[in-house]
This record gives sequence, C-alpha cells and structure tokens, in this order.
Amino acid sequence: MTTLDGILHGLHVVFTYQNLLAALAGALAGTVIGVLPGLGPVAGIAMILPITYSLDATAGIIMMAGIFYGAMYGGSTTAVLINMPGESASVMTCIDGYKLTRKGRAGAVLTIVAVGSFIGGTISVAGVMLFAPVLGQFGILFGPAEFFALTAGGLMILSRISGGTLAAGLFPMALGLVLSTVGQEAVTGQNRFTFGFNDLSQGIELVALVVGLYGLAEIMLVIESLHTQVKPLNVRLRDMMPTRTEWRRSWAPFGRGTMLGFIFGLLPGPAATLSSFASYRLEKAVSKHRDEIGDGAIEGVAGPETANNAAATASMVPLLALGIPFNAITALMLAALMVHGVQPGPLLISAHPDIFWGVIVSMYVGNLMLLVLNIPLIGVWVSMLRIPNYIFLPLILMLAVIGSYSVRNSMMDVYIFLLVGVLGYILRKLEFQLAPMVIGLVLGPLIEKHMREGLFMSLGEVSVFYSSPIAITIWVLVLLILTIGIQRALIERLFGVRLGKIVLDNNE
Amino acid sequence: MNFLVKSAVTLLTAGAVLNGAPALAQDYPTRDITFVVPYNPGGATDPISRQFSSQLEKVLHVGVNVENKPGGSGTIGAGQIMRSKPDGYTIGLSDIGALAYQPLINKGLVYKNSDDYQPIVKLSEQPVVLVVRADARWKNFDEFVAEVKSSPGKIRVGVNGLRTAPDLVIQQFNKVAGTRIVTVPFSGGGGEATIAVLGGRIEAMANSGAGNIGHVKAGTLRALAVFTKGKYEPFPDASPVGDAGYNATMGSAFYVIGPKGMPPAVLTKLSNAALQVAQSEEFRAFAKANVYVAEPKGPSEMKADIDQFSQIYTELLKFIDQR
Repeated sequence: MTTLDGILHGLHVVFTYQNLLAALAGALAGTVIGVLPGLGPVAGIAMILPITYSLDATAGIIMMAGIFYGAMYGGSTTAVLINMPGESASVMTCIDGYKLTRKGRAGAVLTIVAVGSFIGGTISVAGVMLFAPVLGQFGILFGPAEFFALTAGGLMILSRISGGTLAAGLFPMALGLVLSTVGQEAVTGQNRFTFGFNDLSQGIELVALVVGLYGLAEIMLVIESLHTQVKPLNVRLRDMMPTRTEWRRSWAPFGRGTMLGFIFGLLPGPAATLSSFASYRLEKAVSKHRDEIGDGAIEGVAGPETANNAAATASMVPLLALGIPFNAITALMLAALMVHGVQPGPLLISAHPDIFWGVIVSMYVGNLMLLVLNIPLIGVWVSMLRIPNYIFLPLILMLAVIGSYSVRNSMMDVYIFLLVGVLGYILRKLEFQLAPMVIGLVLGPLIEKHMREGLFMSLGEVSVFYSSPIAITIWVLVLLILTIGIQRALIERLFGVRLGKIVLDNNE
Repeated sequence: MNFLVKSAVTLLTAGAVLNGAPALAQDYPTRDITFVVPYNPGGATDPISRQFSSQLEKVLHVGVNVENKPGGSGTIGAGQIMRSKPDGYTIGLSDIGALAYQPLINKGLVYKNSDDYQPIVKLSEQPVVLVVRADARWKNFDEFVAEVKSSPGKIRVGVNGLRTAPDLVIQQFNKVAGTRIVTVPFSGGGGEATIAVLGGRIEAMANSGAGNIGHVKAGTLRALAVFTKGKYEPFPDASPVGDAGYNATMGSAFYVIGPKGMPPAVLTKLSNAALQVAQSEEFRAFAKANVYVAEPKGPSEMKADIDQFSQIYTELLKFIDQR
C-alpha cells in the first residue's frame, strides 16, 4: 500500500460516526484531563481503558491517542494562568507563561500555545506517516550506554535550565535526585528509604510532586499577597490575539520544538516531558531573545509546548512499527490492542492497515478539532482569572488533591503533595529554582537504571559507556555545550574579536 | 470529569453499605465486589482481570469493579486484598511471583505462605520462551546449549527484571544443566530487552510468549526454545526444554485470591462461580488470543500448585546464593 492509498484508506476508516466520535471524545477528554491539575494523560487513559475494550481496536486507539495529544494542548492552560502545570510536560511552560500572564498577555500566550501544539502535532503526524517503518529502527540504535550518555549528559546540561545562580539550580536538582532514590529500586526490586511505609515502595509520584511544588506553593503565595496584590488585569478581546512581534518570535521555536519533540518521541522514556525540558534549554541557548527567557519571553512557551505535542505524536512510531511501547501511555495502548487480539509487532502495519492508517488520519483530524475547540475556549479559560479568589483557590486545591490521589489511588501521594507544597513555598521564598528539582526526579532513576543495565550487559566492563559511536557523539556534544563560555573566551583571546558583540550586532 | 463519576460511584457504594442490613452469608452476593489488580493497567494483569471480572459479573449478578493498586512487585495489592474484611466482597488477582517468590526475599510482607490468604481459582500459565535475532548463529536450541557450555559466563539473556519468572527459569536451567548463562535484567518491561536483542547488544532474551509473538511471526526474532514439557502451541518451532531432558519448566501464573476467614457458604459460592468462569469457552478463547495457557484449578489444587512453586523457589534461591 502506497502512502497515498494509505491516506485514502485512513480517510475511509476515520470518516465513520464511531471513529470521528472517538477522536472528538478523546480530544475533548484529553483537553479536560490536561487542564485539571494533577490529572495527567496516563491516569486519564487508564481510566477510559475499560471503555475502549467495548469499542473496536481502531476506535479505542484513536480515542486514546486523542487523549494523549489533547492533554498536551490542555496541560499548558493552568501552567500559563495560575503557575500550576496541568501535567508534567508543562512544567517549563510555567516559567515564562505565568510571567506573561502577569503582564496581561494570557490570551495571546494560550493562542500561541494552541497554534504551536497544532503545528508540532500535524508535522509530526506527517513524519510518522512517511517514515514510521524506517524510524522504528532508530530506537534500536539506542541501548543502555547511549541512554546513559543522553540522560547523564542531559542532567548536566539542564542543571541551569531556568537561570538564577548555579547554587539556585544545583541544590534543588540534588534534592530531586535524592527523592528519586526513594522506593523500590528498578533493577533488583530492593526497597530503599521507605522507612517501613509499604506505599513508599512505589517511589515519589511525579504528578504529586509537580502539583505540590508549583500549585500548592503558588496558592500559598497568592494568599500571602491577597491584601497587597491588585486583581489580574482585565483582558480585552484585543489582547487575546498575539501581536505581530509575538507571532514573528514564535515561528523559529515552533520549528525547533517540532524537530526536538519528534526525535525524543522515537526514543524510550517520558518523551513529552523530556522534550519540553530540552526545547526550553535549546531556546535559552540559540534564541535571538535568549536573555529575556525566564522573565516572560514567548519563545520559552512556544518551543516546549510545540515539542511536547510533537513528542506525543512521534511516540506512536515505536508502538506501531515495532510493537514496543516506549512510555507508560503507549503501554496502555498496547494493552488495548492485545485485548482485541491484535498482536503488536512489525507486521501490524501490513496486517492491520485499518489501525495504522486510521490512527494516522485520525491524528490529523483530531489536531484540527483541537485547534477549532481551543481557540474559542481561550476566552473562557482567561475569564476564570476573574473568579474571586475565595472560590477559585479552594477549587484549585480540591482538584489538585483529587489529581494527586487519582494517579495511583494512594493517600500517600496526597501527603507527599502537601509536604512538597510546603517545601516548594520555602524554596521559592529563598529564590531557588523549582524546575531543576523536577528534572532531578525525572532523570535520576533513568540514569541509575541505564548505568546498571549497561554494567550488567557488559559483565562489569566500564568501557561499554564509551565504546559506541552514538554514546561518544553524545558525550562530545555535552562537553561542547557545557564549555561554551570557555570556548567563546578562548576564541576571543586568540583572534582578538568580540564574539558577543558580533552576535548582538546580527540581531539588530 | 472522570473523577466526578468516580466519586459519585464511591458515594453510591458507600450509601449501599450503610443501607444494607448485615446480609446473611447465604444471600451472598448482595452488593458490588471489588477486584484488586496489583499492577498498573498496561501490563498483562489488567486485561485478564477485566475479562475475568466481567464474566464473574454475569455469573454472580452483581457488579465487579476493577481497582488498580500497583507497586512492590504485586505485593502492595496482595496485602490490600489480604487485609480486607473476609466477606467475599474484596478479592483480586495475583501472580506466582508475588505469592511464592516475594515472601522468600521480603520479610516485611503481611503474608508468608499460602496459609495466610484464601486461594480461590487458578486462571492461567504463561510459559517462558527463549528468542534470538532471526540471523543468530544458532539454528536450534542444541547448538545454543553447546555454545553456552563451551563459553560459560559469556552468553547473555535479557529478562524483564531480576528474579522475575523468566530470570528464575533461566537460573533453574543453569542449575539442572550445570551451565552459566548470564541474565541481564531490563527493568523497563520486556520491550527494552526486545530492542537489545534486535540491536544485537545481547545474545537472546527470555520472556512470556505474548511479548514476542509479533516479532516471531514477522521473522525478526526466532523462538529457539520454550520452557515447558510438551509443545507450546503458539510457538510450534520452539523446542520444549522439558522434553530435552532438562527439568526447567517454570512459567508465570495468574491466580485469584481473597482474605482468609471467609464464611464457608460465601467461599463455596464464590469459588464455584470463579471456576465456572475460568473453565468457560469465552475465557479459554481470551486466553488463547493472548497466548496464555488456560489452567482452571479450584482452591485446594491451586494451593498445592503455589506450595510446589514455593518449594522450587526456596531451593533455587539456595543455588543462586551459592554462586
């Protein structure tokens, strides 16, 4: 089947009442799940999994994919409006998105996010469609050594992701790494630092930590400043649309975010979250307005939000081309396929063209639906800022508690949410950065796991970590990025030119 | 929105509990049954649980609600089932690893052996299959074993975690064949081990059949052996290890358990209904589609089954510790 035949077949599959409805229901549910703090796509898909058992396999996967990318659209809403990420892939969006909201640009930011998500999503679908069988092999190139380089190197590069002093980034990151060691250790299953609480053996739940760290801390800060702070600015219709400058500054981050997200989606791990970190860091490094990022620059929102959508879409590649789920969400989709007796694997595309092409076309349709749905909704979301705080804050708190509980049906996560909220408040008061803590918690277990798997595999030979070309390339890149300041100083010294000046001149 | 539905359901159930006068055991069941799944949805345990509970609903004429309680290699969910009130309204799925292996290495659990909970029904067994890349140099299992023997400690087999069923059966093979196959535990599920085999980083992988049948059918992986006695239907080309003279035939298995101390009338009704489901054509068809071997066994047979596993694991642990 050629690509064109495939698309036609896919259109045929998607344009039935059931499948269109599945795409719409998934996209809608995903948006809601994304908007509600704490309720992430994993919990959302897990909840609807039983419903998909009663649909046929194609409709089930279309619906689940809809929830996944719908949540990526919705997740940024609360991050931008109230500094509380709707799910972990929107942590980076808080930094600049919330600062822009304080400047009265909430509507514009949300429009940029919706358009960026649409671009990242649709370009990524095209990539999946054209290259899925080939790209499936890309993941195979990565083994423990390559992932160790990617995650450990990534940790070093990301330590100063959100600016501030070195200590303001490193201390929370160390804290995140320490917290990530709590619970059942990944390789042998030994319990660590659980202090006799059986519930802690699952580790510190990321969602509870993120919602507590940002959400609860933010609520406390708002309450503290209730008497001094003026109400959020009234948003006029004119302010809903981004200015021409904002559009112009967003195109490059859209493009870079799409590429980064797509590549991360092909690799194992929490792709959407990691790609949003990487995109933010990339914007900070290469954007023309890099000095403004962190103080409310549109690039800091446009890049990560595009990346997480591209990643969500691209992570369908390993699932559909290899039958191997690379993250928790595609694992759920795999389960749904198997319930219907569809055996995932390299034969899926040829044996079940309905599923492959149906899902591809449904992702185009779904992204379009989301764009159409979300642009009018922005007005609704922004007007939520006008709800009096005595109603709004308890409502948010209630949702956050339910969200923390719902991920694993665990009260322990609610206690963690509360404790981390207090910790986040203190850290913010002391002007520490919060994002590195999340990064530490996400990357810590991955680094440890890949290092130990590598050593198991090499029968204890450390050389495994620097004997593959890909791993070496990654380490060289990491070194180059880390020493960029020294390199610049060296070149200036040797050639007597002011590089910083030249770059600056080019900008004007 | 889902949580609203969820809380509404919780409130309704709570209401039902308050309204109902203490029901007599003979009337069982008068309200919904909670079915605990000790893993996240997405693993093998969730689909089989939902299949079982939806069929149990039809036999007992009450709702059977699945609740995922993941963590601790299945021990957290198992603990929740065992600590619940023994009234027949909380039961759940468990697997041989959580029931027979975990108590041997984890002393902090609420259970030690099969006397500490109520066996209800055995559902299925999943044999372990040994697969290699399609272009691997071994044509069959004999050649593989020959190389394992000639270069001890060099052949690496990927498994989905240390001391999981595939790892343990490889250790059992090491014990009976006097070999030294090295297992590499990949903790991110079977998928990671699969890409390591496909990428040529390890020589082979051992996993339950469901994870690899897609690749074997596509011809990217080849099944060399299956750790069973007798052929394993979905993998006709894999030679049964048990028939080659090695007593290494442990797979993993799924069971339904409840807290101990249920009223005899409740237990009889529940276990008969459960056995009826496990023996049904519909359940067998589900098992076949998922490459499971259906093995319906009632409470006493199931208990003997678990005790036998505990015995084998205990001996195996001694062997592993000596190495």
